[in-house]
Amino acid sequence: MRNPWAQTGNYRTSYEQDTTIFANYREIVSVVLLLVALCLLPLFLERSQVLVLNFILIYAIAVLGLNITTGYAGLISVGQAAFMGVGAYTVALAAPSLPFWLTIPLGGFVAAIAGFIVGIPSLRVKHLYLALATLAFQEIFVWVVGRSPALAQGAAIPVEMRNFLGLEISFRNHNYFWYYIILFVLVLMVIAWRNLLRGKYGRALIAVRDNDRAADAMGMDPGRTKLFAFALGAFYGGVAGGLLAYMQRAVVVEEFTLARSVTLLAMAIVGGLGTVVGSLLGPAFMKFLQIYVERLSEWMKANPFIQSITPAGVDVASALLPLSFGLVIVLFLVFEPRGLYNWWRLLRSYFRTWPFKY
Amino acid sequence: MIDFIQNLISGIAVGCIYALAALGFVLVYKSSRVINFSNGQFIAIGAFAAYALTVWVGLPVLLAALLAMLLTAGLGFLVERVFLRRMVGQPIISVIMVTIGLASVLDGLMYLTPFGSGNFTFPQFLPPGGLELAGINISYPQLMAIGFTMVFLLLFGWFFQRSVLGIAMRAVADDQMASMSLGVSVRRVFGLAWAVAGLTAAAAGIVVGTVSGLNQDGLIAIGLAVFPAVILGGLDSVPGAVVGGIVIGVLQSFSTAYLDGVLGQIGLVGGGSQYAVPFVVLLVMLWFKPHGLFGTEEIERV
Amino acid sequence: MKRGFVLAMMVALGLALAQGRTVNLLWSGAITGPTSDVGGPYAAGIEDYCKYANEQKLIPNVTLNCIVRDDQYQNPNTQRILEEALDRAKPAIYLGYSTGAMLQLKPLINEVRLPTIPASAHIGLIEPPHNQYMFLPVSSYSEQFVALLEYINRTKKNARVALVVNPSPFGRAVVDVSRRAAARLGQTIVDVREVGGGNLDNTALLRALDAAGVEFILHQNVAGPVANILKDAKRLGLDKKIKQLGAIYTGGSDLIRLAGDAAEGYLWASSYYTLDENAPGINLQKQLAQKYNRSADILNSTNYTAGMLAAAIAVEAMKRAAQRFNGRIDNATVYQALIGMNGPNAFKPGFAVSTKAGIEIDFTRTEQTGAEGLRILEVKGGKFVPVTEPFTSTLFRQVRNP
Repeated sequence: MRNPWAQTGNYRTSYEQDTTIFANYREIVSVVLLLVALCLLPLFLERSQVLVLNFILIYAIAVLGLNITTGYAGLISVGQAAFMGVGAYTVALAAPSLPFWLTIPLGGFVAAIAGFIVGIPSLRVKHLYLALATLAFQEIFVWVVGRSPALAQGAAIPVEMRNFLGLEISFRNHNYFWYYIILFVLVLMVIAWRNLLRGKYGRALIAVRDNDRAADAMGMDPGRTKLFAFALGAFYGGVAGGLLAYMQRAVVVEEFTLARSVTLLAMAIVGGLGTVVGSLLGPAFMKFLQIYVERLSEWMKANPFIQSITPAGVDVASALLPLSFGLVIVLFLVFEPRGLYNWWRLLRSYFRTWPFKY
Repeated sequence: MIDFIQNLISGIAVGCIYALAALGFVLVYKSSRVINFSNGQFIAIGAFAAYALTVWVGLPVLLAALLAMLLTAGLGFLVERVFLRRMVGQPIISVIMVTIGLASVLDGLMYLTPFGSGNFTFPQFLPPGGLELAGINISYPQLMAIGFTMVFLLLFGWFFQRSVLGIAMRAVADDQMASMSLGVSVRRVFGLAWAVAGLTAAAAGIVVGTVSGLNQDGLIAIGLAVFPAVILGGLDSVPGAVVGGIVIGVLQSFSTAYLDGVLGQIGLVGGGSQYAVPFVVLLVMLWFKPHGLFGTEEIERV
Repeated sequence: MKRGFVLAMMVALGLALAQGRTVNLLWSGAITGPTSDVGGPYAAGIEDYCKYANEQKLIPNVTLNCIVRDDQYQNPNTQRILEEALDRAKPAIYLGYSTGAMLQLKPLINEVRLPTIPASAHIGLIEPPHNQYMFLPVSSYSEQFVALLEYINRTKKNARVALVVNPSPFGRAVVDVSRRAAARLGQTIVDVREVGGGNLDNTALLRALDAAGVEFILHQNVAGPVANILKDAKRLGLDKKIKQLGAIYTGGSDLIRLAGDAAEGYLWASSYYTLDENAPGINLQKQLAQKYNRSADILNSTNYTAGMLAAAIAVEAMKRAAQRFNGRIDNATVYQALIGMNGPNAFKPGFAVSTKAGIEIDFTRTEQTGAEGLRILEVKGGKFVPVTEPFTSTLFRQVRNP
């Protein structure tokens, strides 16, 4: 018997082994350690830093969903924010009468239904056309919200939860409380993601993505598989939207626009399509990029030397954010299409054999 | 009746602007299968370039417009060279994402200049008011939009039917591999397609500038209207782009005139149906006739 | 090396002590991104007034630290910037910006009891729940609309009116109260339409409204769309038939530049003095714009005035808090100073017009609107000229709540 702790590679010899969630014990240990670290992390952080983490984790859930539709099934979606919006508005309407552990999955299901409807064209058409279907859904969603008095026409609908099992939730602990809830949901969603995609459905998705005609010939129904992917991706979006509603204490339509959908897609790409690690790294990277570029541009604005060397009429500081956002996407696509996940993989394989080179 | 005709004509005029922007979009798709999400940015850059050349440099308007179109065409060419060429053979999603990233980069470039925020007005070079005919009114900028579209359509028609380069482009659109083996420079065709896309986008931007004020957000928003137009007309059809653009423009005009009043009765207050109707059309087309009115149907059998 | 560092620290500390305490003021808004044509000048107004306040030592023994940050019109950024400030800088007062973000942050602001002066004048901000710490520098959009309806009623009874609003919570804010006010005045609101940027042709809209017998169009929007509608109305010959009016963000120098001579006759509700008038605030604005090298576009922008007014109110509140509470400037004292800003203690910086009682800016615990006086201005010869005396809408107070 091999020592499972000393495994250095993939020793899988059967299909059953290949469908296990973890390749070896070391992976289990590292996941547990990561979870413990994530649980302890807020103890060392300020409230506003936890807020940033919350945003990252919520976007990570939405990006996980996007990684099903886009990463696994290969269907480009520029409507993930609208699915988040469907979830958020469902939560906003249901929150006064239902507890949050019911409203959030409910938001996910309603979003899944929306995803199913949007995905209908996938029974007939491919890739590009579907991207435009999601674009249309995104625009129509914002339009309908803006014209529905029941949804406050896009103005804020408060979503407040002041009390949970006797624990009072106020400004002091709001971010911390929701951090743990979001983390818990994220872990659930990741487990579901892994489980689902290592089984029959996941393989069907990959098959359809890589060659839908071949998949069809092998007895899979590409149309139905894509619809399923859409609905599932939207479910993740809906859950993320529901969490966002609670975390922001209100639902405002501006959170769910095309620009946000594009940002989510960028997060998925930068993280690495179709991977769990990428779904976490992408949002984190993009959020920190934004924060630090913002800081840099503020520093530039305040710095008299920089101001004196820029010609009049040129505003470098304001241009930095959109420039860096776009450049990051383009550079990743050109130089590292597998995203941050690939860096992570290289790093890991380096340490796996450390201190030996190979 | 007069109202109906007036709404129709105004719709056509706006639709021609969409058609102009859609022409370049279709051309890029036709030759390289790239869906360009940065079209709105090209529209904005073309318009701002024309503004800068007339107001800051002081060139005559027509010369400035021509130069701006050429500059934007150059930008299109450059963009293809620098970004898109590296993406040949990559999955579609990567290529689409590159255009999205590109949109953001171009936004950033606009923020470098004073055009990033604020409103600008193009100097008036057409007489104010418009043509008045039997109670139907059409403004000179709108006439110009229609004229521009017709000219471009004729030019493109000639170009694709008669010129060697145009035929090469059609060949590339049809079968990249085969045209390559017959000695067509696919690279040149791609570059040219992007240059022309820049050119028509700039033309659309300049027309917008004469019709209304220039504002970065507003100009980029017009780029979005191109998607319903091209799906309606068929993603790879040049006449389809024009017809699609015009139909979308007319539909918007009609929905403002006739649909807005109805909406309130079904609980959607505030009208503004002109913003949703194009995308509803887009969805319906995808459901029932995804290849559009004039597009090539791709038949796949297993 | 280490000693030098310690020495430098001592010197810095000494300097800080000599200058007195530092009090923070936070603004976050859209310097870039959507609506940056408003946010840019607004931010400039705040920055310049802060510099001026420090140079003039408006608050004795206190150095004012104005944190002006760009949230790119994204609510998560606004929330992050605000919470970051609550953790670290602990601003004594918060100057907000967009309608959406302010509505969203209302519960949080109320919970931490942070006095807030938003740039958005959405009525929902000062309406319960969670409205206690929100203060609008000038009258709300809703109040401006009721005032416009009252003005129409003075010239024409039983008028037929259409509202054209921006497709956003900002635009929609005025619809309900306008319906109630019009019902009281015997006016008919024929139609409410949403029109946003990029409205390339408004023929269908104008013809439909004309066919419905509309005599007045009221705009709650930004300058761009309104300018396009004005131009089309002139082209269609409807400019004489339909009078157009609008609230604060529709007017100003931008509208005149965009609409050209089509703007002639446009009526605008504004609480601010225009640049041509000799008011102390406006003079200060001109002086500061010159001093800090601001462009003509910024100087001419009403939003520059608006930013200065917001900053002026904040600085005045801090100064009064320091006077009343032994130099203690924090959320609680600034709040007390703000709600005490009334009667003989009303604030008169001269940016906005005064009511008949001679009061420019006043707040009480329940009246969270600063400048309640406003005027109607008309475009004459390419300039906004006041056509009414400053007045306060009496009807608004009756119809504010259904």
